[in-house]
Amino acid sequence: MTDSIDRRRFLKVLGVTSAGAAAVSACGIGPEPTERLIPYLVQPEDQIPGTATYYATTCRECAAGCGVRVRVREGRAVKLEGNPDSPINRGRLCARGQAALQGLYNPDRIAHPMVRNASGKFEDIDWDGALQRVTAKVREAQGKGIVFLTGAEQSTFGDLVDEWMKQVGGRRMSYEAFGFEALRAGNRMAFGTATLPTYDFANAKYVLSFGADFLDTWLSPVEFQNGFSRAHAFDAGRPASMAKFTYVGPRLSLTGMNADEWIAPKPGSEGLLALAMAQVIMSQHLARVPADASKLVSVLAAHTPRAVAQVIGIDEATIARLAREFARSGGGLAVAGGMATQAANGAEIVAAVNILNYVVGAVGTLVKFGADLGVGATNTFADLATLTSEMTNGRVALLFVYGTNPAHSLPGAFQQALGKVAFKVSFSSYMDETAAACDLILPDHHPLEQWGDSRPRAGVIGLQQPVVQPVFGTQPTGDVILKLSGRTGTFQDYLQAKWRARHGANFDQYWMDSLAKGGVYGEAPTRPVRLATTAGNFSTTFAEVPSWGGDGDQTVVVFPHPALHDGRGANKPWLQELPDPVSKIAWHSWVEVHPDTAAKWGLATGDFLLLQSKFGGQKFPAWITPSVRPDVLAVPTGQGHSAYGRYAKDRSANAFELLGGQATVYGGRSFIVRATASKTGEHQRRIATIEGNARDLGMGTTEVLPLARAKALHPGDHPFHFEETPEYAKDAVEWWAERQHEKAELGNYKGEQPRWGLAIDLSKCTGCSACVTACYAENNIATVGEELTERRREMAWLRLERYWRVDEHDNLQGAVNQPMLCQQCGNAPCEPVCPVYAAYHTPDGLNGQVYNRCVGTRYCSNNCPYKVRYFNWYNYAEKDGKYEAFPEPLSMLLNPDVTVREKGVMEKCTFCVQRIRGAQNQARLENRNVRDGDIVTACQQTCPSDAIVFGDLNDRNSRVFELAGNPRGYHVLAGLNTKPAITYLARVVAQDTPGNG
Amino acid sequence: MAETPPPTTPTRVTYDYVTRTIARTLSTPSRGYFLLLGAAVALLAIGIVTLLYLLRYGLGLAGYSHPVYWAVFITCFVFWVGIAHSGTLISAILFLFRSGWRTAVYRTAEAMTVFAVMTAGLFPLIHIGRQWYFYWLIPYPNERGLWPNFKSPLIWDEFAIGTYFTVSTVFLIMGLIPDIAAVRDLATGWRKKLYALTSIGWTGSNEQWRHYSRGYLYLAALATPLVLSVHSVVSWDFAMALVPGWHATIFAPYFVAGAIYSGCGMVITLLTPIRTLFGLEEIITVKHFENLAKLCLLTGSIVGYAYVCEYFMAWYSGNPTERAAFWYRAFGPYWWASWTMIICNGFLPLLLWVKKIRTNITALFVISIFVNIGMWFERYVIIVVSLAGEPFTKWANAVYNPTWADWGIMAGSFGWFFMWFLLFVKNFPAVSISEVKEVLPPPRSKPSKVHV
Amino acid sequence: MMALPKPLHDLFRPPPTPGVLAVFSHLDTTLAAIKRLRAAGHTDFTVYSPIPRHEIEDALGQPVSPVRAFTLVGGIAGCAIGAWITLWMSADWPIVVGGKPVGSIPPYVVIMFEMTILFGALSTILGILFNSLFAARRLGTILYDPRFTNDRFGIFVPAGSDKVAKVESLLREAGAEEVRRG
Repeated sequence: MTDSIDRRRFLKVLGVTSAGAAAVSACGIGPEPTERLIPYLVQPEDQIPGTATYYATTCRECAAGCGVRVRVREGRAVKLEGNPDSPINRGRLCARGQAALQGLYNPDRIAHPMVRNASGKFEDIDWDGALQRVTAKVREAQGKGIVFLTGAEQSTFGDLVDEWMKQVGGRRMSYEAFGFEALRAGNRMAFGTATLPTYDFANAKYVLSFGADFLDTWLSPVEFQNGFSRAHAFDAGRPASMAKFTYVGPRLSLTGMNADEWIAPKPGSEGLLALAMAQVIMSQHLARVPADASKLVSVLAAHTPRAVAQVIGIDEATIARLAREFARSGGGLAVAGGMATQAANGAEIVAAVNILNYVVGAVGTLVKFGADLGVGATNTFADLATLTSEMTNGRVALLFVYGTNPAHSLPGAFQQALGKVAFKVSFSSYMDETAAACDLILPDHHPLEQWGDSRPRAGVIGLQQPVVQPVFGTQPTGDVILKLSGRTGTFQDYLQAKWRARHGANFDQYWMDSLAKGGVYGEAPTRPVRLATTAGNFSTTFAEVPSWGGDGDQTVVVFPHPALHDGRGANKPWLQELPDPVSKIAWHSWVEVHPDTAAKWGLATGDFLLLQSKFGGQKFPAWITPSVRPDVLAVPTGQGHSAYGRYAKDRSANAFELLGGQATVYGGRSFIVRATASKTGEHQRRIATIEGNARDLGMGTTEVLPLARAKALHPGDHPFHFEETPEYAKDAVEWWAERQHEKAELGNYKGEQPRWGLAIDLSKCTGCSACVTACYAENNIATVGEELTERRREMAWLRLERYWRVDEHDNLQGAVNQPMLCQQCGNAPCEPVCPVYAAYHTPDGLNGQVYNRCVGTRYCSNNCPYKVRYFNWYNYAEKDGKYEAFPEPLSMLLNPDVTVREKGVMEKCTFCVQRIRGAQNQARLENRNVRDGDIVTACQQTCPSDAIVFGDLNDRNSRVFELAGNPRGYHVLAGLNTKPAITYLARVVAQDTPGNG
Repeated sequence: MAETPPPTTPTRVTYDYVTRTIARTLSTPSRGYFLLLGAAVALLAIGIVTLLYLLRYGLGLAGYSHPVYWAVFITCFVFWVGIAHSGTLISAILFLFRSGWRTAVYRTAEAMTVFAVMTAGLFPLIHIGRQWYFYWLIPYPNERGLWPNFKSPLIWDEFAIGTYFTVSTVFLIMGLIPDIAAVRDLATGWRKKLYALTSIGWTGSNEQWRHYSRGYLYLAALATPLVLSVHSVVSWDFAMALVPGWHATIFAPYFVAGAIYSGCGMVITLLTPIRTLFGLEEIITVKHFENLAKLCLLTGSIVGYAYVCEYFMAWYSGNPTERAAFWYRAFGPYWWASWTMIICNGFLPLLLWVKKIRTNITALFVISIFVNIGMWFERYVIIVVSLAGEPFTKWANAVYNPTWADWGIMAGSFGWFFMWFLLFVKNFPAVSISEVKEVLPPPRSKPSKVHV
Repeated sequence: MMALPKPLHDLFRPPPTPGVLAVFSHLDTTLAAIKRLRAAGHTDFTVYSPIPRHEIEDALGQPVSPVRAFTLVGGIAGCAIGAWITLWMSADWPIVVGGKPVGSIPPYVVIMFEMTILFGALSTILGILFNSLFAARRLGTILYDPRFTNDRFGIFVPAGSDKVAKVESLLREAGAEEVRRG
C-alpha cells in the first residue's frame, strides 16, 4: 500500500479533478460541459430508442378540428404534423397548431389542484380534498344557479357536461371571443337557417371577401387556405388560369394582403356594395339568376351603384366592374365575416352577401348548407351579457369555467360579476385571468394528454388520444366530472361507450381504424336552401352606414391576431416571436395608422397612441402603414394579459378593453368602436419588428407577372432571364463560364449525387407563417424574446418577407410574400470565406454548417447576399440564463435529431438535413433508392397552400425538377452567379396592371 | 549618407550633444509620467473587465444587430493596423529613399508600429464567437485532422499580420542595438547590466558596422513591400466579399494610403508631447513636423481621391445595388459618420497646403487628432454602414448601435497601446542616437571644403 | 562585464589579443591612420566608430558583407514553404468551397508572399549575428573604449611585444589623441 492508489484516494482525485473541470465550465467560459447518457433499464413497449412513433389525434387550438399526427420520441412529443387523412386540413397545419406543443410543455402550467385560502392566496390541495369541496359546493348550490362555461365544445365531453348539468340542475354555456352571431343571423335573414355552411374555395373562379379573414382566423383557416390556393394559384400545368381574389375591408389582414385587388369602402357599408353588385348583375342579366330571386328586384332597385356610391365611398364604375367580373367569372364566391360583420348591421351585411351569392347561383354549389359547423353552436354575446347580469345579481351560485378565458376577452363587467359568484371553479391548466379569479382550480390534462373527440361539422368526428404521459399532476376533466357525478369508469370508457352506441357492429375494428385515421371522416350532407320570404324586408336598414357605439372622432377596428387570436396563444413563445404576417411585429401589440393620418398628427412608427373609447383606454405603439384606411385605426387583440404565465403577463395592451358590453341587435359584439386618439410622450425607440424595406427595389428578389403575360408564357420561356453581359465582354465571360464548368466537375458538383432543391410558388404562398413555426419546432430554434427581437437577433431560419404591391397609381393593392431561407447556393459565397471550413459544400449540394467546427468569425453571414445566417449571441440553452429559450419542461420538445447550438456559433437552414438522412437510411434499410416525395422538409410538410416543394434537382422525374423548369421560375439575385438551389415561381396577379413598387 | 548636412539640425549640435540629450530621456521619470502610465493601465483594466464579461455571457453584450455582424471591434482592428503602417514606411521606405529627415522620428514611429500591431492583433481574437477556440485558425497538426482554409482572407490576415509583427519587431530591435550600446557606455548600475545584455556586445567595430548596415538595407528592402502588402490584405477582407461598398478593386491602394495617412497623424500626435517633455527641440525640429505634415497632405489627398472614385463609380457603373449602397452611406441613418469621415479625411488635410499651418506645431497636433478620429470613422463607415445598408435583401435592415461593451474593449485597446509606448520611451532611446549623428558633419581636425 | 556560463563564455569571450588601441577625436585623422596602417602592411586591425561612415569603409576597402546571401536563401525558402503548406494542406484535406478548385493558386500567392518576407527577414538577422560573431571570434577579445559609441573614433592594431613600439609611434603621428597598450 505504499505507492499504489487505493480506491478511496482514486475517487478523491477523480472528484477533485471533475470538480475543477465543472468549475471552469460552470463559469460559462469555454465549451459546454459534457453530459452522460442513461440507457433504458426496462424499455417501454412500442418504443425503440432513436425511432419516432406517430400518433393520430385532433388539434384543439381552435374549433376547426384539424387532424394531427404527433411525432413522439422516447416518450416525448417533439412535433405536430397535419393528418393527411383529415378532410379538413389535408395533412397541413397552421402556426397555432404547430405551437400546441408549447402548450403541452409550457413551463407555466398548473401542476396540482389549487384552492384559495382565507388570506386569498392560492395553496396546493390534493385531488380528493378538491373533489370533496366541489361535491359539497354543488350540493349547496343546487337550485341557486349552476353554470358550466366552456369554449366551442361540440364533443362527447360537451355531452357529458350537459348530462352532469342536467343531473345537478345547472346549465352549460359556451363562449368564443370571436363568435359568428352575424353569420348565423344573416343566414337566417336570407335563407331562414341559422347554421353555418361550408365554403368551397377550391372550385371558385372568383373570390370576393367582405372582411372575412378566411386565411387566418375565420371558421376553418387551414381548410380554406388549402382550397383557396388551389383556386387562386396560377398553375401552368392545366390551362393556365387563376381565380381573381378581391378583398373588401377597411384594412389589409393576412387574408387581405393576398388579394389581387383591394377595395376599402367605409366600414359598415360593405352590405350596400354587395347589394349594388347584385343589382347590377340582375338588371344587366350578367348571370343566370334563380327564378325566386325576382322578389328582390324591388329591393335592389333602391341600391343602384349611383345611389350608394356616395355612402360606400367607391365610385360606381368600380362597383359595376366588380359586379361584371364577379358574375362573368362563372364561379363567383362571396364570403362575409370578420371586420365587415362585427358592426351593428353585421347581420344585414351577411344577408346582403348571401343575396349576392344567391343571384350568381353560388349557393348550393360553392356555399353548401348542412355542414352546421361546430363553432356555430356557441352562445351569443348577448347570452353572455345576460349571464353577466345574472352573476351580478347573484343568481349564479356556482360557476365552472373550462377551456375559455372570458375574464380576458369579455368586458370589465364580467370581471366584477365574477366577484359576485359564491364559488368559482376553473379547469384551466394555466393561470389565466379567469383561473386567477376563481376559488378552486382543477387543472385539466392538455388535449395531447387525454382522450376526447370533437365534431367540427356534420359527418366529421375527430378522435383525440393521449400521446404522452401526463407531464404534471393534472387530471382529465372528463374523469373529474364522472367522479363528481358519482359514476364509475374513466372518461375513456365513457367515450368508447358513446362511440359504440353510434357504431355497434364490429366495434373494436372500427375503434382501432378510427384511432389510426384520427377520426371518422364522412361527407357532410348538403341541405338545399331557398331565399327566405322575409329576405326582401330587411334591406331598408341599410339606408345609412351605422354610427358605432361610443363617441370620439376615430373609428377603431379591433381584429383578432392571426397567431395569438383572442389571446390564448400569448403564453407560447413560438407564437409570441412569430412576426405578425402583415405588420411583422412580434412580442407586442400595435395600432395601424395610415401615413396620411400619421403626417397629420406628426406621428412616427413607435410613438405611443392613447386610444380612449367611452368603455376604456389603452396605449399602443403606432405602426405607420398604407394597409389601412386613412379614417380607420386598427388594433390587434391577443396581448395585454394580466396573468397567463411569464410569456403573456404584462405584455403590451389588451384591445378588448376598448370595446363595449352592449350586444348588437343580432346578439353579436361590435368590434368597431369610436374613440379619441391622442399622442403620448412615450416612444418605443425600436419596436420589435423584422420589417425591412417593404418595397422591393425591383432588383430581382421578388417577381410579379400580370395574368395576361403569365398566360402567354410557353414552356421554355425565361421572362426573368435578363442580359447580364455586354457584347464586348461575351468572350471573356464564356471563357470564364467554361472554367466554372471545369470547377463544377470537381469533387461533389459532378451530379452523380442528388442536388437537393426547393421550388417555392409565390402565387400560392399566403404569408401565413405556418412554415416559420414548423421550422422552429423541427430545428430547435431558440426564441430570443422581445428585447433581442428589437435588436434583430431573432433566429428564424426561415423568414417571410412581405413586399407591398401597388398599382400604377401607387395605390396599395396587396402584398407579395416571399419565404426567405438559405438558398443552398452551388457557388456559395459563405463557404470560401470561412477560415475553418465550418461552412462547406456537401456532396449532395447542401451548404453544410458544422456547428462544432465554427469559431464564430461571422464572415459567412457578411458575405451572404440573402442574409439568412443567424448567430448565437448568447447561450440560449443556458439553464436559468437571462435569455433561456427552453425552460423546463419546454426543453422536452427539443428534436433529438438536431443539435441545440452553443453560444458563439453561426446557424442556418439546412433543408432539414436530419430528415434527408433519415429518409436515405430508411431507403437503405429497404434496399431501394430514395423516391421523390420521401423527403419532406418541415416547412413543406406544414404549408397549408402547398407552396413549397422539395426534391432532387438531378432527378428528371421529380416534381421539383419540373417546377424549376417552369417559365415563371427564377433565382433570387441570379446576377450574382450564386447558383441557388431554390427556384421561386413568380406571383401572378389577376389584374391588368400589377404594380411592383 | 547625407552628402551635405541638411538644415534639419543646427551645426552646434555635436555627436556628444546628441548622445547626452537623448540619453537624458531615460532619466528617472517625473510624476506626470506615472500619471499617464496609471491612466493607461486604468483603461486597460476596463478593457480586461469588459472582455471577461464577453467571455462569460457572449458577444451579445456588444451592439451587434443582424445583418451588422462586424462592427466596432473590426473597426478598431483596421484602425490599429492602419496606425501601424507609417512606422515601417518612415523607417524602411524613407531609408531606401535616403531622406535624411527620417532619422530623428523613425524610432518613435517604429515603436508605435510594433505596439499598434500588438493591439490590432487582439481584436480578431476578441471578436470571434468562441474566443477559446481562436487557435483553430492556426495551421498545426491537430487531433481534429483538419487544416485551415487558405482561401479565406481571414487566414491571409493571420499570416500578413503575423509576419508584419515579427518583421517590424526585429526591425525595431536592429535599429536599437547601437543606441543601447551607446546608452550602456553612459549608464551605471542595473541599467548598465540590462543594456549590456540587450546590446549583445555591440562595439561599433568596422566588422559589425559592415554586416549591420548591409543587413539593415535588406531588412528595409523586405519591409517595404511588406508594408504595402499588409494593409492590402486587410482591405481584401472586405474587397473579397460581395457586399456593396466593400467589393471594389480600389480597396488595396485606398487602404494603404489611408493607413499611412492615419499613421502619420498618430506619429505627430505622439511626437509633439515627447519633443516638449524630453526637450528634444534641437533634434526633432519644426522641419521634421513639416515633412510629416507633407506626407499627411499627400496620403490624405489620395484618400480623398479614393472617396471621390467610390462615389463616381457607384454612379457611373449604373449598378442599382451599388448606387443604393452609396446613397445610403451618404444620406442614410448613418450620414453623420460618413460626413465626419469625409470632412476629417477629405477636407481637413487640405489646410496643410498652407505653410503657416504646416509649421505650427499646435495646429498640427490638433489636426492630427482629427485625422485619427476621421480615420476611425472611415473604417466604421466602411464596415458598419455597408453592412447595415446592405441593399441585396431590402428586407434585412439593421438597427445597429454600439454598447458599453464595444466602447469598453476600445478603451482597453488604447490603454494597452499607450502602456507599452510609455514603458518604451522611458527605457529605450526614443530617438535614434547613431542615425541622428549620421546627418551631422563628422568631427574634423581641419575644416575641409569637400566632404569625402 | 557580466559572468557567462561556460559554453557561452567560450563563444562570446574569446582569448584576449595583445595590441595597441588608439583613440581619435576626428574622422580625418582616423582615415589618415588607416591609410598609414595599410601602407605599413597591417590588415586585420579593427576600426571603431559611433556611426557607419562610408569614408572608413572605402579606406578599409573590405569586400561586401555576405549577409545578402542569407537574405536570398531565406526568401526563396520562405516562398517554397508557403507554397508547400497551402497546396499540401489543401490536398491533404480536400474540401470544395464556393465552387472553387481544391488547390487554387491565386489566393495562395498571398501566403507565399508573406512567408517569403518572414523567412527572408529572419534569416537576414541570423546573417548579421553569425557574421559579426565569426568576426569577433577571429579577432579575439580586444581593447575597447566606451567613448567609441559617443563621439570618438578608434583603431585597435593587434601587435606582439616586438612590433608594439612601431605601431604606437605610427598611430601617434597619424594624430591619435591617446594610445594604449593591452
